[in-house]
Amino acid sequence: MSKRIGLVSVFLAAIAVSSLLFVSPSFAEVVLKIGTLSNDANQLDPHVSTKSQDKILFPWVFNGLVRFAPGSADLSKIEADLAESWKSSADGLTWTFRLRKGVQFHSGYGELTADDVVFSLNRASKKETSTAYKGYADFASVSAPDKYTVKIVLTKPIPSLLGMVTNYHGGYIVSKKAVEKLGDNFKTNPIGTGPFAFSEYQSKRQVTLVANKDYFRGAPKIDKIIYRYLPDEASRELAFKNGELDLIYGTREQRWVERIRKDKGVKVDIIGLGELRTLHMNITKGPLKDIRVRQAISHAVNRDEMVAFVGQDVAQRSISVVPLGYLGNTSDVPLYKHDLAKAKALLKEAGYPDGVTLKVIITKVASLRVPMEILQAQLRKAGIILDLEVVEHSAFHKLIRQDASPLVLYGAARFPVADSYLTQFYLSDSTVGTPTAITNFSHCDAADAEITAARSEADQTKQLALWKTAQQKVLTQTCSVPIFEQLIVWARTTKLDYGFEMKNSLSNGPILNEMTTLK
Amino acid sequence: MLKYVLKRLAMAIPILIAVLTLVFVIIRIVPGDPAMVVLGDQASAEALAALRTKMGLDVPLIQQYFTFLFGAFRGDLGASLLSGRPVLSEVMTVLPYTIDLTIAGVVIGIVFGVPLGVLTAVYRNSVTDYIIRVFSLFGLSFPAFYSAILLILIFSIQFNLFPVISDPDLSNYGERMNHLVLPAVNLGLIMVAYITRSTRSSMLEVLREDYVRTAKAKGVPRFVVITRHALKNALIPIVTVIGLYLGVLIGNSVLTEIVFNRPGLGKLILDALSERDYTLLQGVMVIYAFIIVIVNLITDLTYGFVDPRVKHQ
Repeated sequence: MSKRIGLVSVFLAAIAVSSLLFVSPSFAEVVLKIGTLSNDANQLDPHVSTKSQDKILFPWVFNGLVRFAPGSADLSKIEADLAESWKSSADGLTWTFRLRKGVQFHSGYGELTADDVVFSLNRASKKETSTAYKGYADFASVSAPDKYTVKIVLTKPIPSLLGMVTNYHGGYIVSKKAVEKLGDNFKTNPIGTGPFAFSEYQSKRQVTLVANKDYFRGAPKIDKIIYRYLPDEASRELAFKNGELDLIYGTREQRWVERIRKDKGVKVDIIGLGELRTLHMNITKGPLKDIRVRQAISHAVNRDEMVAFVGQDVAQRSISVVPLGYLGNTSDVPLYKHDLAKAKALLKEAGYPDGVTLKVIITKVASLRVPMEILQAQLRKAGIILDLEVVEHSAFHKLIRQDASPLVLYGAARFPVADSYLTQFYLSDSTVGTPTAITNFSHCDAADAEITAARSEADQTKQLALWKTAQQKVLTQTCSVPIFEQLIVWARTTKLDYGFEMKNSLSNGPILNEMTTLK
Repeated sequence: MLKYVLKRLAMAIPILIAVLTLVFVIIRIVPGDPAMVVLGDQASAEALAALRTKMGLDVPLIQQYFTFLFGAFRGDLGASLLSGRPVLSEVMTVLPYTIDLTIAGVVIGIVFGVPLGVLTAVYRNSVTDYIIRVFSLFGLSFPAFYSAILLILIFSIQFNLFPVISDPDLSNYGERMNHLVLPAVNLGLIMVAYITRSTRSSMLEVLREDYVRTAKAKGVPRFVVITRHALKNALIPIVTVIGLYLGVLIGNSVLTEIVFNRPGLGKLILDALSERDYTLLQGVMVIYAFIIVIVNLITDLTYGFVDPRVKHQ
């Protein structure tokens, strides 16, 4: 008996000791460990996925013909990337790009040539292979006159054409050979020309990238990136505090930012472009058909109170239906001021002297649910009662596209040109429930002519004027109430230095490249 | 015996069909769209419709149901809608982590729960009894996700003994054990609480039996009376409880896996649910149901070893 007890004790002791003896193997290589939100990668194909956790990776793996300067989302600071020079014809219909020579694709897929660019841009403009295809509708042809020259012919001039061939969504250049060889597997085995090459994807766990030693701007100083999917915010933060992660997707709350900023060796980056939180009002149904009810809602919303609640560092007051920092954004619009008396008077005038009740669907995801609860409290003061139904996030997305909620609180960041926001949210073509639907939840149709005309307006002054009119008309029709812009929060160890100022990013995450170092 | 096992396995078939049908129906009642999960919110209605066709979600539900049912009986659980990988291979990747965690949780539960239960029964209504009972009540009512965070704060952040993220390389034995400790303790604490309580009540009944009094009167040493005479006869209800609570353990393993970011069946189910990965969810649930059936069968078979009077027919 005692012998048996002895053996069991020895066994248990062995387990305990062996578990404690484990020491992390020390590598000479520099490994950057990142904790991101979400459970898993969905598609690592840059032309297909528009999900945040996927988008963050793309600029590390892919290049465009041109790019935003690292840390910037300023269209006026676009610089050369895979193309070393470009020119457009006098009529603006033909654009010619001269490619860099000697740029290599990852994993031995050979040198980048004009064929790859032609293939990529054609792929980006096809419905079957791209979710960005609508943006490329005015491409008449893309051809390769020689190995290093790409010619784009347009059906009508697009003044912001460079934006469409930048390092964003459909503008990423993929390897033709890799896409053809890998087929459907390309989505979990992306091949680009960027500073980091895809190495491994482990379902629901992580993606590993390795330095592209042949990167045309020079070999990165970080050898490996481990990009981990850690959906639980608390454990992501704890792992960061424990040194298991160097960079994490933070919680977009003032309290969180202030708390983690106090920790030693931690730097918090609050990155734009913000996601504009807008309350879309379905102008075709129920009490909201009456513009006075919509105006009452607009007057009942208190933006300053909302920003104060969410936090001065992580939120900013919006000024129009197009987010701040986007080309075409203007403050010269009839934005409704907070005025409860006016809201009540408008409701009374519309035939609702005792107030109105609206049944509204909202996701359980805190970044939208919490602002919605604040709006609920604000609107109640004007006699507008919101009966909130909280649903799963994926259910929310489905239901709001079926017109199931008269009010839709939505947050989004898009390509920083007014056209992208206006087209997706306010053009009748994008109205939910139609075959070409995107995210026009309000059924807004006030500015169709201006939005469409601005797209092919070669004169930028005229284009800006058209966008301004469009924003004014959308607000006059009271299709939506722009409320605030939510910025993105990342926390990193001070040992990580991006190598440039990280102010804005279109990928929702920091840009990592050959300048980035980890001590 | 073999006949009994085969009979029990045959009985599992209707259970599995019922589980499959329930899961199939429930997941589809809840709104949500796997195509939207893949493409994101900027995708147009056309692109979403095209992907739904590719995923096979546009064929009639009844056809989807029978395709899955027949596939399942051929051992083909289909492929995940999102990753495209076979469901079985998704499960096999994470199964070792779940097995490690569950076994470790049960072992901790038995190693600590049974002696503590015996102790509380023997020293009934003493200070020891009260302390252990309060402890077990605490274990029962404490949410697993909260105890997990407390364990991390103490043993990872404060003492830096174990990692926060429990995602070991399975081929590295040291790392595997090191990463297992905190999640296993977290799960084990719940099991200890359950086993302590059922051991106590079972022991109290046996200790009142005449043969125990007789043994004591004969002068058999107290330790022998408790372990050989009383505990042995108190074991059947304890074994039942362990078998039953394996279900509870699996439920709590979901929370443990999430907080520790540990791969496992529980986390796989939750991910599949939140992403509306219908085929993955169906597949994993069928495998889960199968595991529960097998565990129950093993529990029943164990009775025969614990008590030779039990015959399986």
